[in-house]
Amino acid sequence: MKPYITISNMSCSIQNALILKNIDLSLYLHEFVALAGPNGSGKTTLGKAITGIIPIDSGDILIDEVPLSTLTLPQVGNRIGYLFQNPDKQIFAPTVYEELSFALKYKGIPLEERDKKVTQVIDAFELSALRHSSTFFLSQGEKQRLAIAGLFLNEPSYLILDEPTTGLDPKRTSQLGLLLKQLLPKVGIMMISHDMAFIRDHAHRLIEIEDGGIVNEVHY
Amino acid sequence: MKSTIDPRVKLLIIICLSTLGLFFSDIKILMLVFLIGLILSILFKGSFFSLLKRIRMIFYVFLVMVILQSIFQQSGTPYLTIGTLSILTDEGLLRAAGYLMRVLIILISGVIIATCDMRRMIQGLIQMGLPYDFAFMTSIGIRFLPLMLTEMKDTLTAIQLRGIDIKKLPVKQRIDLLSYILTPVVASTLTKAKKLSLSVECRGFRAYNHRTSIITLKLSPWDYVVVATTLFATAGIFYLGISL
Repeated sequence: MKPYITISNMSCSIQNALILKNIDLSLYLHEFVALAGPNGSGKTTLGKAITGIIPIDSGDILIDEVPLSTLTLPQVGNRIGYLFQNPDKQIFAPTVYEELSFALKYKGIPLEERDKKVTQVIDAFELSALRHSSTFFLSQGEKQRLAIAGLFLNEPSYLILDEPTTGLDPKRTSQLGLLLKQLLPKVGIMMISHDMAFIRDHAHRLIEIEDGGIVNEVHY
Repeated sequence: MKSTIDPRVKLLIIICLSTLGLFFSDIKILMLVFLIGLILSILFKGSFFSLLKRIRMIFYVFLVMVILQSIFQQSGTPYLTIGTLSILTDEGLLRAAGYLMRVLIILISGVIIATCDMRRMIQGLIQMGLPYDFAFMTSIGIRFLPLMLTEMKDTLTAIQLRGIDIKKLPVKQRIDLLSYILTPVVASTLTKAKKLSLSVECRGFRAYNHRTSIITLKLSPWDYVVVATTLFATAGIFYLGISL
């Protein structure tokens, strides 16, 4: 099976500080990979480098065999959905419905088709009761779900989730686990997390990162 | 130099620079004021050039200004014309250069004041008679501005990652999209302000009418020299500008 994302000998710096050193990693569709490691080890930087948010110093990143350097952010966004550590950063509209529909509007999708797609996602992510709610007053768990739903409307092939279980109670964490399980036949997932129990329950592979390098890999 | 110059002296310097920048329209005087500001910012270890790098966009504004000034200011020798319409004239170029110089003077003033330690700056304002509440609000505003800019940048990235190619959108849609960029920034600012207000109240902010301070600023002989030089130089430039 060909990897969907291939990282070869990649190094990345932020403000002249070398954060990631010679990373080699392959990520596959329909696989749930967990990325764990101490604070400041470079987990979030790796996620952001894969999506092109942070430029890399050297090495290569291929997304579906296309070099990342040749893709624009919107093109990456159509292939990879990136969930920020803080979902507030990617909630833009005042209501749940508008939040899910506005990106489609700017892509020129007709109103009828837009409404159909949004309704499908609202149902799939159990957001029906919140359809017209203000995004400002949603709980952390609801915001996470809304942000993932927003990513999913792009029909990405891969999801990168940065600490999605942070701030969620056990019930919401378990619901997130179920949701990711349902999504797995359609996408590949890389989740950055400290939640080892969640990783053991859901991940196929654990990659441990320390001091900017991969130090261990565990298959479950 | 950063720690030796009193923030009130730096405040005086930027007041003089910006007053000269706004008072005169002669390009030579404006260039002189900017040059003095640039030298001072280098002496104070300010980061003017890295600021310029971050605001490269201003040069596009300059180009637009040159064209607009030339179109609306039809006097002067035309360098470039389309039909009877002058697109580039020497007069327009001079006016646009003057505009750019004024903007650069304001920016250099900002760079000079940014070299002050914020705590000392607030103390300076308080000792100049500004009520503590206002000084505190000013410092919060200054501290939060870069954070807001970072959030704005993150929001733009997040919007693009939703598959929206902003560069390809028509102007009307780009303007329309602004509300989606500003919503999370405003929401986050309100949340931060609410948390900050609660946090300072919990730490006894405004619990008493009078506040004591561990820092007290005192002007050194060197500060007096800089004040005298600044006032003398400002008066000199005023004289030069008026007699030109």
